[in-house]
Amino acid sequence: MTEFVLAVALGLLFGLGTFLVLRRDVVRVVWGVAIISQAANVYLVTVGVGTTGGAGAPILGHGHGGEAAVVDPLVQALVLTAIVIGFGTTAFALVLTFRLFEEHGTIDLDDFAGSDGDGAAGDAGDDTTGAGVSADD
Amino acid sequence: MTEQVVVAPVLAALVAAVLGLLLRRTPRLQRGVSVLGSLAYGAGVLLLAMRVAADPDTRLVYQVSDWTAPFGISLVADPLSVLMLGLTAVVSLAALVYSLSFLDREDARLAYHPLFHFMILGVTGSFLTGDVFNLFVWFEVMLMSSYVLVVFYSGPEQTRAALFYSLLNLVGSAVMLLAIGGLYATTGTLNMADMARRLAEPAAYGIDPAPVLGISAVLLSVFALKAGIVPFQFWVPAAYRAAPAPVTAVLAGVVKKVGIYAIVRLYFMVFAAASIPVSLPGIGGDSFLAFFGPVLFVTAAASILLGGVGALGQDGMDGLLAYSSIGQIGFVVLPLAVAATAPEFRVLGVTAALVYAVNHGLAKALLFLVGGAIRAGTGTDRFADLGGLAGREPVLAGSFFVGGLALVGIPPLTGFFGKFLVFDVAGRAGSALGLAVALVGAVFTIAYVTRAWNRGFWGEAGPAVTVSTHRSSLVAVAAGLAAVVVLLGVGVDPLYTAAENAAEAALDAQGYVDAVDPTTAAEAAADAADGSNGGGHS
Repeated sequence: MTEFVLAVALGLLFGLGTFLVLRRDVVRVVWGVAIISQAANVYLVTVGVGTTGGAGAPILGHGHGGEAAVVDPLVQALVLTAIVIGFGTTAFALVLTFRLFEEHGTIDLDDFAGSDGDGAAGDAGDDTTGAGVSADD
Repeated sequence: MTEQVVVAPVLAALVAAVLGLLLRRTPRLQRGVSVLGSLAYGAGVLLLAMRVAADPDTRLVYQVSDWTAPFGISLVADPLSVLMLGLTAVVSLAALVYSLSFLDREDARLAYHPLFHFMILGVTGSFLTGDVFNLFVWFEVMLMSSYVLVVFYSGPEQTRAALFYSLLNLVGSAVMLLAIGGLYATTGTLNMADMARRLAEPAAYGIDPAPVLGISAVLLSVFALKAGIVPFQFWVPAAYRAAPAPVTAVLAGVVKKVGIYAIVRLYFMVFAAASIPVSLPGIGGDSFLAFFGPVLFVTAAASILLGGVGALGQDGMDGLLAYSSIGQIGFVVLPLAVAATAPEFRVLGVTAALVYAVNHGLAKALLFLVGGAIRAGTGTDRFADLGGLAGREPVLAGSFFVGGLALVGIPPLTGFFGKFLVFDVAGRAGSALGLAVALVGAVFTIAYVTRAWNRGFWGEAGPAVTVSTHRSSLVAVAAGLAAVVVLLGVGVDPLYTAAENAAEAALDAQGYVDAVDPTTAAEAAADAADGSNGGGHS
């Protein structure tokens, strides 16, 4: 049962994330990416639960030679790492979105999709060394 | 058993990056430390290279915090890792020295050096790690700094390119995490050596190989995205044009090769031992590699053709080089595809791929540095405004000539041996289609290199060229890298030996398992009976 509920929840999360990634609004796209990476984390946690779903916290079974079914603690350690990384990348993506808005005056992907990259207005070339605001912090 | 020397390059890059952050208020000191850090990195790699060259069977293993192999994180320096580290050391040093004078605005320099070293740190960790999840973490270190370096000038073009580059790679990271979770769920381990051992005898460990095949195919898409091969090539041109030239040199020369390295390491070593449990239509053989061979072949052929056509259609130097690097990566993947389908030519195929990867890494980095120098001098990279650079900048033109010929594959440059080996392995394996694709790709390469040369360097001096400024320090670095390309081509034997050793080491899963995780068979069986690999050991 647990497995089924988790599988459905994961499917919904990935579906929602994909839906948001395909939006035109850059902020929604960033949200979509964040949801997809969180869904990957949920998936990792479910890997440790196993098929029965009756597993307890690892610490409860401590000292009994692992007889009681316990959740795999390793995946939780992995998820902690992944959450930290996801936090940093999401923050960066949001800052980048803000800079994008400052440079283009829009966060609608359709408005700047072909506007300046490949050809047309062309290479920003040398004026690019300007823009003292750095997006790195 | 633990070899401290393995962490030397990691430490050098990490210390250089952290010191760079601390020394932000004293820019001159920061730049000095940055170059010193890059030199120390090179020295660390040289130490590893000497150990590995002395005995090709060497696998230097460092168990982080002395946690033994399947439980802790292992760092492994084998000939394959060290070859890639050598490429990284040369390209990153050249790019770093180049950027000292390329980035002339003080505020632009401050964040640059720490970011550069963090990117190299991520690359180094990816090459050294023996743990699949740790590979994900190093990828993130590398990508995070590369996002910032792509948006570095933060103009309209850069923010746009960086947005697509980072969103694409964020989705890629989520997929990679999923695949790694799946590998852990199916094989019960994250350690590459342990995984290779378990996959070799799946029954003993209760592994069903079918889901592993699917998950490894998902993982392949992530590495293809990093390597920029079709159908995951679309981020390449915009990102390469947006980043500062020395960063592009490292992105094209080294960061792309991390994807190639991961394919060689995981698919030719870890997954190679496993067999497909069901017969798949159109797949001859029951090894995982027999499945991945055709997949790699299609992506390689498509990359070669799309890169070639794309490069011919460009009206600017940077765009041409960016598309060219899509095509050239196809040339690296092509022998891998042949090697995957024809087991008897596997060593030769991987050797060819590695020689080509090193050649492309050096030549393309050189060309991007030349492109950067042209843009810095003339203010443009468009062929319409260029022309006649050969008369005005003979050394720069000579460097471009060397890099271009290395791409085309003219003896005695390294590119010749790379191309020769690619043709050799395709011919010996009897892959007529492979030969045809490589031939068409070679013609495309000649065509676009000639075009860049004719439009940029020969003929009447263009409007931008007549008013260009000479940037001698940039030219000097490019000329130095050109000298390396020539020297490595004339004395190709050490490179070939190193690549061959690397290929043999990459294909010798048993040797890797023995070096990383010398658990005896009895213990391994007990481990399997225990049913877990994490908290179960007492």
